[in-house]
Amino acid sequence: MSGAGVSCPGCGSSNIVDDDLYSQAQMVCVDCGSVVSEGVLAHDPNGGSDVSYSWTTAVTRKPCVNLVKGLQRVKAICRILRVNKEIEDLSQTYYKQAYQHQTFIKVSLQKKEVLAGCCVLVSCRLLNWPITMATMSCLLDADPMVVGVVYQEMVKVLRIEAPIVNVTDVVEAHSQEYKISLLHVPEQLAENSKDLAKRAVALVELAADTWIVTGRKPIPIMMAAIYLAWQSLKPSKQRLKFTLDRFCQIAKVNKHRTALKRITEMKEVLCKLGREIPWVREEVTPDNVVRQVDDILKNRYALLRRALRTHEDALQAEDSVTEEVASSQASEPVEHTPNASAVELYGLNSERTQQPGDGNESPCTAPELQNDSQESQESAPNWGKRMLFAPPCVTHPKRRRAGLPGLQDVNGDEEISDSEIDSYIRTPREAREFALTQKILSLSESEKS
Amino acid sequence: MDSSNDDALDIIITNVVATFRTRCHLNLRTIALEGTNVIYKPEVGKVLMKLRKPKITASIWSSGKIICTGATSEDEAKLGARRLARVLQKLGFKVRFSAFKVVNVLAVCSMPFAIRLIDFTKKNRPIASYEPELHPAVTYRIKHLKATIQVFSTGSITVTGTMGSFDFREAIRAMPLR
Repeated sequence: MSGAGVSCPGCGSSNIVDDDLYSQAQMVCVDCGSVVSEGVLAHDPNGGSDVSYSWTTAVTRKPCVNLVKGLQRVKAICRILRVNKEIEDLSQTYYKQAYQHQTFIKVSLQKKEVLAGCCVLVSCRLLNWPITMATMSCLLDADPMVVGVVYQEMVKVLRIEAPIVNVTDVVEAHSQEYKISLLHVPEQLAENSKDLAKRAVALVELAADTWIVTGRKPIPIMMAAIYLAWQSLKPSKQRLKFTLDRFCQIAKVNKHRTALKRITEMKEVLCKLGREIPWVREEVTPDNVVRQVDDILKNRYALLRRALRTHEDALQAEDSVTEEVASSQASEPVEHTPNASAVELYGLNSERTQQPGDGNESPCTAPELQNDSQESQESAPNWGKRMLFAPPCVTHPKRRRAGLPGLQDVNGDEEISDSEIDSYIRTPREAREFALTQKILSLSESEKS
Repeated sequence: MDSSNDDALDIIITNVVATFRTRCHLNLRTIALEGTNVIYKPEVGKVLMKLRKPKITASIWSSGKIICTGATSEDEAKLGARRLARVLQKLGFKVRFSAFKVVNVLAVCSMPFAIRLIDFTKKNRPIASYEPELHPAVTYRIKHLKATIQVFSTGSITVTGTMGSFDFREAIRAMPLR
C-alpha cells in the first residue's frame, strides 16, 4: 500500500503507506517515520453547524457583506453624479447609521439599494447640491414612489431636516441634459446651453411668482421652461412650428405629458404680462406671445406691477357697478361680505407692498376690513377668479357632482325596522335562482376554455 | 395661534371609518349568496356590502371583524354598523354587536386665499414636510391631537385623525397659515 510516486521529504524513500491515526488520514514514510501528508482532522457537521452564522463570533469580526456592498454602491452613485468629497463622506455615514437601524436592517436588498440612493440624495440637499428625486430614481432604476417612501422613512429615522430643493437651482443642471448645442443639431436649431439655462431660470422664477410651481412636480415645469426659452431665444418661424414632441426628439429627452399643460399655463401668464407692454400694438395671444418673451422677461417686475394695477382698477369699476345694483336689492347676510372684500383687499394690499415680484401672491399682511361695502348678490364663490394670478386649480376648478346630503338628526342608537333589513336579503327563491345562474355561467365558461 | 384663520371655516366631514366585531364566525359564501348589494372577493377573503341609507360600504371578514367606511358622521357610522349587524343576524348568524370604534375621520376645509407652501414649510420645520415630487401638499402632523393635516396651495385643507370633529377647528386654528 505505497502511495503512487510520492517521495518522503525527510529521507527521500518512496516507501510511503497509509497509516490512519484515529479519524485522521495520514501518509507516513516507513523508513524515517515522518508524516508526508495528512487529511482533515474534523469535518464540518452534515447539514451545517449547530450554531447559525449570526450567533457565531464571525459576525463581529467581519462586517456585514451587504453593508460593505451598500457603501460601495453609495460611493459609485456619488462618483456618477460627480459630487464632492464631503457629500460622499456624509452619505456613507448616513448609510451606515440607517442600515443598522431596526427599520432597515431586515428589508430586501432592493430596498437597501434604494436606501443608498436616498442617503446620497439627502446629503446633496444638505450640502447645497440640488438634484431631484426623479433623477435619483432614474439612476437607481426604481419606482419614484418607492424612492419617496424610503426617503421619508429614512429622514424620520435619522431625524434629518433637509432643505427643500429650489426648482431654479435644478434648472441649470437639468438643462445640460438637452442636446441642443451646435454639436448636436443644425445651426438654426442650436442654442448655447448657458443662454438657454439663464432664460429658463427667468421663466421658472416668473412661474414661481404666479403660482404655477407651488405643489407641482419640478421636471415638467423645467421642460416647459426650457422649451419656451429655446423658442423665444430665436423666434423664427421654424422654431415656433416645432411642437414639444419634436423638440424632445431632437434634444433626445423623454417627453412628459404634463409639460404640455405647464406650457399652456406659462403662456397664459406671459400673455397677461404681454398685454401691459406699451409698445405692442397687436393683440397678445398664446400663439404670438413667444416673440415678446424677451421683453417680458427683461421688464417682468414692472409689467407685473402694471398688470396688478390694471386688474385692481377693473375690479373696482366692477364693484362700483354691482354696488349700485345691490343697493336696490335685498342685501346678502353679512357672512359673505368679509370673504369677498377680504379677497379684494389682497389686490389692494399687494400694490402697497413695494417688494418687486411679490405682488398679490403672498398674502402675508393681515386683511383689515376697511371696505365693508355691501357686496353684491354674487358673493364671489370662487375667490380665485377675482385675482389676477392664482393657483390654476382654483381658477379652473373641477366640476364636482353635488354629494348626497348625509342623514340629518341621527344619533346612532335608533330603532331599525325589519322591513329595512329585509331589503338587504334575498328571498330563498331569489337565492336559488342566483346559485343556479352562477352554476350555468361557470359551466359555460369552462366549456369555452 | 392665528385667529384670522376663522374666516370661512366650513369644515365638512367627508368620511368616517369605523370598525366593530360580531363575535362569531361568518360564512362569506352564505352572505354572498343570500345578501343583495354584496361583492364577494375570495382572493382577498372578504365580502363588500353596500348599504343604501346611510351610504356605507362595509368590508366583512370571516373572523367577524367588519370595517365600515363612507359615513359622513360618527352617529351615522354607528347606525350603519348596527343596521349591518341586523342584516347579518337575519341571515342566520349569531351576531353580537360589540367593540364599535371610530377609527378615522376625514374632514375638508377651504381657505379663501392661496398659501405659499415653501415659506410655510420653512416656518414650521420639522412638523411640516413638503416634497413636491411626491405629493402636492404640505403634510403637517400634530402629535398631541394625533392628526395629520394636509395643506394645499389652493387653500384647501384636509384633516385626518382619530379625534372628535370639534377638535378639527382647534387644529386648523393652531396652524400659522400666513
